[in-house]
Amino acid sequence: MKQRGRGIACMWYPIGFTVAANPSAAVVKVNEDGTATLLTGTVESGQGSLTVLGQIAAEELGIAADDVHVVSGDTDTTPMDTGAIASRTTYVTGNAVRLAAEKAKAVLFEVAAPMLGVRPEQLEARDRKIQVKNFPQRNLGIGEVAYHAQVVKGQPPIGSATWNPPTVPMDPQTGQGKPFNTYVYATQIAEVDVDDETGEVEVLRIVAAHDCGTAINPMLVEGQVEGGIAMGIGFALQEEMLFDAAGRHVNPSLTNYIVPTSLDMPEIEVDIVASYDPTGPFGAKGVGEPTSVPTAAAILNAIHDAVGVRITSLPATAEKVLAAIKAKRAPEPKQLPAS
Amino acid sequence: MPDEKRVAEKQRQRTLETLRTAEEVARFPAVVPPVAYPIETLVPEARQQTPAVGQRATRVDGRLHGLGQTKYIDDLAFPGMLHAKIKRAGIASARIKSVDTRAAEAVPGVMAVLTGAEVPVNSFGPSFQDQPVLAHERVFHAGDGVAAVAAVTEQIALEALERIVVEYEPLPAVLDPLEALKEDSPKVHPPASNIYATKMIKKGDVEEGFAASYRVFEGRFRTQMVEHVSLEPHAAVAEWDPNGRVTIWSTLGRITLARGDVARTLKLPMNRVRMVGTIVGGNFGGKNEITQEPVLALLSKKTGRAVKGVYTRGEEFTSTTTRHPIVMDYKTGVTKEGRILARKVRLVLDGGAYCSWSETTLGKAAILSAGPYNIENLHVEAYVVYTNKTMTGAMRGFGAPQVCFAYESHMDDIAAALKIDPLDIRLLNVFGEGSLSPTGQVLASVVVKESLAKAAERFGWREERS
Repeated sequence: MKQRGRGIACMWYPIGFTVAANPSAAVVKVNEDGTATLLTGTVESGQGSLTVLGQIAAEELGIAADDVHVVSGDTDTTPMDTGAIASRTTYVTGNAVRLAAEKAKAVLFEVAAPMLGVRPEQLEARDRKIQVKNFPQRNLGIGEVAYHAQVVKGQPPIGSATWNPPTVPMDPQTGQGKPFNTYVYATQIAEVDVDDETGEVEVLRIVAAHDCGTAINPMLVEGQVEGGIAMGIGFALQEEMLFDAAGRHVNPSLTNYIVPTSLDMPEIEVDIVASYDPTGPFGAKGVGEPTSVPTAAAILNAIHDAVGVRITSLPATAEKVLAAIKAKRAPEPKQLPAS
Repeated sequence: MPDEKRVAEKQRQRTLETLRTAEEVARFPAVVPPVAYPIETLVPEARQQTPAVGQRATRVDGRLHGLGQTKYIDDLAFPGMLHAKIKRAGIASARIKSVDTRAAEAVPGVMAVLTGAEVPVNSFGPSFQDQPVLAHERVFHAGDGVAAVAAVTEQIALEALERIVVEYEPLPAVLDPLEALKEDSPKVHPPASNIYATKMIKKGDVEEGFAASYRVFEGRFRTQMVEHVSLEPHAAVAEWDPNGRVTIWSTLGRITLARGDVARTLKLPMNRVRMVGTIVGGNFGGKNEITQEPVLALLSKKTGRAVKGVYTRGEEFTSTTTRHPIVMDYKTGVTKEGRILARKVRLVLDGGAYCSWSETTLGKAAILSAGPYNIENLHVEAYVVYTNKTMTGAMRGFGAPQVCFAYESHMDDIAAALKIDPLDIRLLNVFGEGSLSPTGQVLASVVVKESLAKAAERFGWREERS
């Protein structure tokens, strides 16, 4: 019979490297028509990092995502970057991008100030315009300013910047220190059906509430959460590299190392928890890795809730779950009806 | 020709023709059929709106993926490009007595063969340089490469691999992390100890905490070795130019680090190495350091041609990094109300044959192992050990999914024993704004309570269960 269960798991996860420096650099060039080009040394690996970095540059310059073209991943043309690792791209590379865009913007403000008859610090960039703060009617199109800067003033609006999260080394004996500059938090709750005759576990629903600071692009955050959960399900229930006694891997193919497919996916509900980290670009932290962290824990707790067995080693395969159910049943004396 | 023969010949022809057509149908065309792009490209509104932050802007690469126009490494081709394959040891621990490549070199279509002896600096690694580019003299795990071949086709390269004769002297192997921890276990990298990194976190006094506890709980949890299983395997193309400069297009996610590693292994100044990161079909931590890049570069140097290498799914498992299996011992003392007074954690990470990102994983696992909970008395000790298995490295979470499984399972066991709702015991213990982390750091922008509340509300945790 199928038994329903639910399990909860929460977690914390740091952004960036443990103490070690992990700097990023970025270059932002504003073109003569007010569009921009961003140079970054990170590499897109399907998570949408380039889109997010483009949005950060666009926000700082007051233009739209589509106005920024992102050039990435070439050691000949793009600045140094620690790369797509440790959930650091939005936070660390994002900060470098924001600072680079800020510097390019400063050139635009310097050029626009005399044109608008104010000081540069009275200006702001919004909706593709350079305008006087609290006086948006006094404005110039960002393209007009950028053209003026390049062609009339001879001051191309280019900015470059680097950023590295500040840390304090850990004491080797006690581990006391500040290994990371910020952390994110999350909770996932899983609902499962466990077949107590076969040990098979079906994940029905996962509710995920994740903190990522400001969500620069909520759609991409949701995508990360869904992907992370898919990976977490494989880790919880299916995947395991097996070795023979001689140390050779015996299941090196996808016919006997089974990963979850779309058919194994439960219903997923994603919530983004409101939070703002002043040290991140526009309050953003990160979300890549954490999405996969609490999934297995939540599923295993749900199995425990459903059939009362604690599986202490992953993956919780049907064989393992069934063996645990049988072991739990064995010592129970038969209940004879009292006559 | 007698009739039967003619019929047989005709049948043979027909069979061949069928096979050929079937193969053509099964393959994607080498050149994508021409697509006429519209002059004006429609852009979704979210990409056009300001302010840019907070917009559900679609990805720029989305259109390419949708139209099948994305160029992955395997879509790149250069005139005269060769294909490389690497011979894998298939034995977990051994001394290499000899490598005979003569028969492989004699295969028509084979342009070059490479062994570990030819690599200028045959070691790399982000923390310790303990990993050879190609195994030389000693094999540390079954997935080690022992020689490589560049040939005009992949099939010829594979055929040549079969003809490379390697003589091994088997050595004792250690496969279990708890075995590897023992003093008398075979050493993976002799004379060095198998324990190659440790981490300690101490806060308060755990023994006092346990003594003051209403109950003390203990549990051991174990996790398995898993692979990232990115859709796109590790792939790269290297082209050495006559000026002695090498360009490598690769699936790596960290090109700055890769350039340094390639320059070091090839003994080249950094300005003679160009790394190009293409659009990657999944990384998840598995593509953080070089694998075959120096091999391809050297084969390109030997042949004067571009050389492409694409890992098979099997190589993805046996010859690239995986997630650390961890043996996790937890001991937790709590009050009657479920407040955690003390926790002791011991982690033993199976580091596989090479360090790779183990040091980072060890640190993160140790720091995170207490969970997002206020614990005044904490003692964490964590070890990572060498074993003669596929190396473990970075994988989505650096030890966090493993310890989360342990601390959250443990938490539910405590809650069940004390008859407290799992949500309540967490709300009682979790960090708040300004909490001190296990390393004594004051935490800011802490929303773990909010995430618990939000998830519980959305799930309907407090509602009556049917």
